[in-house]
Amino acid sequence: MNRDEFLLEMDEILDLPPGTLRGNEKLEELQNWDSTSLITFIALAESNNGVFISPGQIVTCATVADLLRLAQTERSTS
Amino acid sequence: MESDAITTLQSVLKSLRFPFVVADILRKRQVMKRELLKQPNLIPTRIAILGGSTTTEVKSMLELFLLAQGIQPTFYESGYNRYSEDVQFENPDLWNFKPNIVLIHITWHNISEFPGLLEDEAEVEQRVRREMARFEFLWEKIHTVLGALIIQNNFDLPRLRPLSNLEASSSFGGVNFVLRLNAEFASYARNHSRFLINDILYLSAQVGHAEWFRSTYWYSFHMAVSPTATVALAHNVAAIVKAVYGKSKKCLVLDLDNTLWGGVIGDDGVQNLILGRDHPVGEAFLDFQRYVKGLQRRGVILAVCSKNDPESAKEGFSHPDSVLKLEDFSAFKANWDPKPDNIRAIAAELNIGLDSIVFVDDNPAERDFVAEQLLEVAVPNVGANVSGFAHVLEQERYFEVEKVVQDDLNRSAYYSSNLERSAGQSRFSDYGEFLASLEMTAEIGPFVPVYLERITQLINKTNQFNLTTRRYTSGQVVAIAQDPGFVTLYGRLADKFGDNGLVSVLIGQVFDDTVQLDLWLMSCRVLKREMEFAMFDALIEQCQQRGIRKIVGTYIPSKKNGMVASHYAGLGFRSMGATSGSGELWSYDVPATYSPRTRYIRPTADTLLATSPSADNESVASEA
Repeated sequence: MNRDEFLLEMDEILDLPPGTLRGNEKLEELQNWDSTSLITFIALAESNNGVFISPGQIVTCATVADLLRLAQTERSTS
Repeated sequence: MESDAITTLQSVLKSLRFPFVVADILRKRQVMKRELLKQPNLIPTRIAILGGSTTTEVKSMLELFLLAQGIQPTFYESGYNRYSEDVQFENPDLWNFKPNIVLIHITWHNISEFPGLLEDEAEVEQRVRREMARFEFLWEKIHTVLGALIIQNNFDLPRLRPLSNLEASSSFGGVNFVLRLNAEFASYARNHSRFLINDILYLSAQVGHAEWFRSTYWYSFHMAVSPTATVALAHNVAAIVKAVYGKSKKCLVLDLDNTLWGGVIGDDGVQNLILGRDHPVGEAFLDFQRYVKGLQRRGVILAVCSKNDPESAKEGFSHPDSVLKLEDFSAFKANWDPKPDNIRAIAAELNIGLDSIVFVDDNPAERDFVAEQLLEVAVPNVGANVSGFAHVLEQERYFEVEKVVQDDLNRSAYYSSNLERSAGQSRFSDYGEFLASLEMTAEIGPFVPVYLERITQLINKTNQFNLTTRRYTSGQVVAIAQDPGFVTLYGRLADKFGDNGLVSVLIGQVFDDTVQLDLWLMSCRVLKREMEFAMFDALIEQCQQRGIRKIVGTYIPSKKNGMVASHYAGLGFRSMGATSGSGELWSYDVPATYSPRTRYIRPTADTLLATSPSADNESVASEA
């Protein structure tokens, strides 16, 4: 999954119009970034990349782009 | 709804049908919810989820699947693993929430004490008793104090088996212990109404044990069921709720060639059909027929919709290996007309809504055509291989039932005898003469315990002859039956062709010398038989006995109840005008002397018209 596909997927998870997210958005400022979207992110990362990302790893992410980097890093090291 | 909105809604509903693409559901859940909330006439319900683990995902998925069934839930969610304390200590938030349904979501993690190694049978039995006492305390409190229906899952199997295969056979084995507890839960369900089992033992096996419980989600979130498996869990719970609200399907409409047998009857002839144990594909058709027969036996109405010459089509059922017989079908359409037209005709003939129908056809073009033309009909994607048909029907949970009652077993007979009645009607030039020839008898009386299940079932699934379309849970029906502040009537109708069963229900609330009718409904299978007159006669008798001078009826229009728009006017009620939001009110002054309206229905000897409400209510209370 490339960056654009990832951002579109995050748009859907966060119930935003397609193309809203650019990557530099702070997670804490996103209205729908909650426990449900967090679990969805983890489940989809697992479904897409076959890796489980723990909540502890997500806590270290400040922006949407950090989530993408985490997903890509985990995929490459798995 | 606009056509674009309908297309979007159809696409959402399709995503929530088997086979599930879990990633899509997870990703699109917010959009799906928004679209589903646009549906008209959603039925509201309040569900308290009491969890032994994290239930956020359960709530989110359950909401989607309920909305897809036309039910709009409001949720209460207990704190993590507070399912017991919330009930035990009467959490005011839960009590104020007044749930219609309590869903207790627990798993094997919530079993307090598994047996110790080498514990003997008596000690293990004591443990079972202690666990059961703990749960029975909760269930009884929920029933008696909260008055809610309970959906309780049984237990899934523990993840690890330190005793390996001995876990299943030794008295102290964990698997054995879980199965014993599950048997006790099942026994409780058999002996208590308003208590339904959500069978996660089966679901976890179906999903696969490794996928059902994922240690990563457990240790990260204390989710006892993985997100993927939660989709299956929520779908299963939604099916139970759907049954509670009478929204399960009633009728299975089947194609014939390559659906119930292999081959084309018109071309191949009955002797060359592929059906029976002698042929691998024939065996699959036979097994599908057995499955369909099983559905029919427990009350699902069967109908045929086939492009065929009618005589050839019927001949197929004379095949020596055909488990299904012609008489199993309550409607039979074999012709060359478009299938949507035939399905409409079947619905009209059986007096059921299109939304009660499931259509099965091996031909994808026919399936698409019906799905496109008849939005309300469920058209599962059964594929072209008969070996998968039953599996798809099972997965969709179309025919979920709360309970099977005698009336369900007799349903096909009702519909078949209705066809005989219709045939008989054509011999009479005068309709009254026809009604007289039916030799009808009715048993009408205040609610009695033996019929409360059926009354609840009827209340929650009758849409057409239903003046207010108000839905009641079984708990509410039990409470009303015991409350002397209500007038209640049920009506059973029989005729020379057979027993139609319990077909009419009336509930009224008494205020001084007035009774306000909250509910009046009748099954469409006895329309135009004057059963509504018989019910009205019984109501008048009740009013006279109780000193009630005025009857106020309400008509709340819905998409489906137009047939009763002039019901009260026809009975001589005066319109009191429309009231905002609660429909149109009608009033009737109870006369001192009254001539019964019904001309063709005799009361049976055991009609309970004379039974005093208080005496009857005591009998309900004694069994409640």
